[in-house]
Amino acid sequence: MKRYLILGGLGLLLGAGAQNAPVTLNFYSSGDVNVRDLWEKSLIPMFERQNPNIKINLVFSASSAAGATVDRMAAAVKANRPSGVDLLEGPVLDAADAGLLEKLDVRKVPRLFLVETNALERLKYFGLPYRGSSVVLAYDSNKVKNPPRTLEALIAWIEANPGQFTYNAPDAGGSGRAFVTRVLRIGINPQDSTLFETGYDPAKQNQWDRGLEILKRIGPKLYQGGQYSRNNAETLQFLARGAITMGPVWSDQALSNLKQGLLPQHIKLIQLTPPFYGGSAYVGVSKDSSNKAAGYTFLNWLMGSEAQSVVTEQMNGYPGIKLINMPADVRQKFGSIAKSYSFEFSSKFGSDMVRLWYEKVAGTPQPQR
Amino acid sequence: MVGFLLALPPMVVLFFLILLPAFEAVKFSLGLVPEDNVAYASGLNVIRSNGPTLEVFEKLFASPFFQQNVRLTFFVSIVSVLILLVVAYVLALYARFGKGRLPSIIRTLYLVPMFIPTIIASYALIVFFGDNGLLEALLSRFGVPYQTIIRQDWGIIMGQVWASIPFAVLMLSSGLDAISDDHIEAAKDCGASFATILWRILIPLNIVPALIVATFTFIGVFGSFTVPYMLGPTVPQMLGVSMQVNFTAFRQPQTAVAIAVFSFAVCAVAGYIYVVATTRQNRSQQ
Repeated sequence: MKRYLILGGLGLLLGAGAQNAPVTLNFYSSGDVNVRDLWEKSLIPMFERQNPNIKINLVFSASSAAGATVDRMAAAVKANRPSGVDLLEGPVLDAADAGLLEKLDVRKVPRLFLVETNALERLKYFGLPYRGSSVVLAYDSNKVKNPPRTLEALIAWIEANPGQFTYNAPDAGGSGRAFVTRVLRIGINPQDSTLFETGYDPAKQNQWDRGLEILKRIGPKLYQGGQYSRNNAETLQFLARGAITMGPVWSDQALSNLKQGLLPQHIKLIQLTPPFYGGSAYVGVSKDSSNKAAGYTFLNWLMGSEAQSVVTEQMNGYPGIKLINMPADVRQKFGSIAKSYSFEFSSKFGSDMVRLWYEKVAGTPQPQR
Repeated sequence: MVGFLLALPPMVVLFFLILLPAFEAVKFSLGLVPEDNVAYASGLNVIRSNGPTLEVFEKLFASPFFQQNVRLTFFVSIVSVLILLVVAYVLALYARFGKGRLPSIIRTLYLVPMFIPTIIASYALIVFFGDNGLLEALLSRFGVPYQTIIRQDWGIIMGQVWASIPFAVLMLSSGLDAISDDHIEAAKDCGASFATILWRILIPLNIVPALIVATFTFIGVFGSFTVPYMLGPTVPQMLGVSMQVNFTAFRQPQTAVAIAVFSFAVCAVAGYIYVVATTRQNRSQQ
């Protein structure tokens, strides 16, 4: 903690020293309204209070419109004109692939060394993962004392306890999708793992057969002899009223529900080994920004304990920096779940996964009534 | 000439917004992929061909998942129509022949579904009839076991019948109102029972409105999305839901369009019956 404070102070000095005249940063962000609130009501006012020389102009769009920002940046570069975008949240990987972002390193953003390396490598150091969440296993600790900690143990538990587990169809929510993805990984050769996450090759899909077969086999052992939950929220509702004992859930949703009392306190969360997938939200600095130094100052501040506490408090998201650098109460809150997480399949593999799940797993007659 | 000009705008709209896209869809489902249309050309498992081919449909009909979906769609559509006809007939007869305050209350009540959006109605049905819903809570007070039909084929049928009642009853009762009391009085004088009057006079004279109700409801239910999406099982899916899932989640626009073409063909048959029924009615009125 002390070490962290000293480093943080150092970073603040470095950042502040670089700024003299007041500058305005155009920050293009996208997402749901909770993301907007996080920036507009908490983080940006906090930052501007502490850095009077830097103003942040938030330009917010809905998730679906985020791609337009990248197109706009690309068009500006092509026409040799400034894009007007200094900071970007959302389609950071697309922008990085198009060569529109600045690569980050510890000299530019000193606190980068506090961040999980694999999250940075995922975006080839073009984006700063300032918050994250992952799918975890929720269970009723009144009924289960020793929850399964591996996928094999979980499947064995499901088969031994019929009617006590369910997940949503993989197109209806990330929690069920993460469960299906984890099971399909059983048959994937380790050397093809990256291909499944970033590429597309339908010929490799026979590696899913083992996983699909397992999913089919456990179908009748699910809630009410084979009922899938409608979406992420319904899995949580089933858990809350004791209809099921165990299910995959999003960490941030479950923690928010626990905080609001929508989930009873005896529902506990754990992560399996190897883990379900998760993801981070990234912020990147535009290559043609004329105020990169101020942008780096902002990113560096974002990784400070104050900003990160807001992320964990308000969004119930995982902090962007390694947990060991967070205060003790935050460490305790996420202790059992915020390990590293695995990655989702690429979007095309994902579409095929959903189709095969319908055709081969759910698309065979289930016991009705 | 003026008449033609007045009719032109709707014809143009019909042509550009309905006929042309429908034609494009049929072409796409026959393997002729419009490469300039990104939404179509970038789909997964797209079948491309230089001339028309039925490969997309062959693949579709060979899939057990699709066969199940078709069976469910026909089952729900036909059973919904039959149940609706019985329920709507009873309501229409009661509204036509009942005396006093109660029938007039019924006449107002059966219109209620018309003013409630189906998505709200579906949600209400889930809350009342669903797992751990109001009905189950009520029954459990008396120790009566309860198994919900929500998220099963019968759940969809319940929703469809509920949503279709106003149109069906309005249609049938306007037909019943058109049957003059003289016919019925005359039959009564001859000693006919109500069952005989119903079977020999009311149903035959009211056959065209009944056919219209049947065909319209069939077409509506066959292509429906909201009710089966909300009240149906995860699998099998009715074709409306299946189209949407194919288009977005599976990223197979061609399959989705092929299902749409198939649905259109089925509904066209029902539409033909409707056209025949109405032309016969017009002719008999002349």
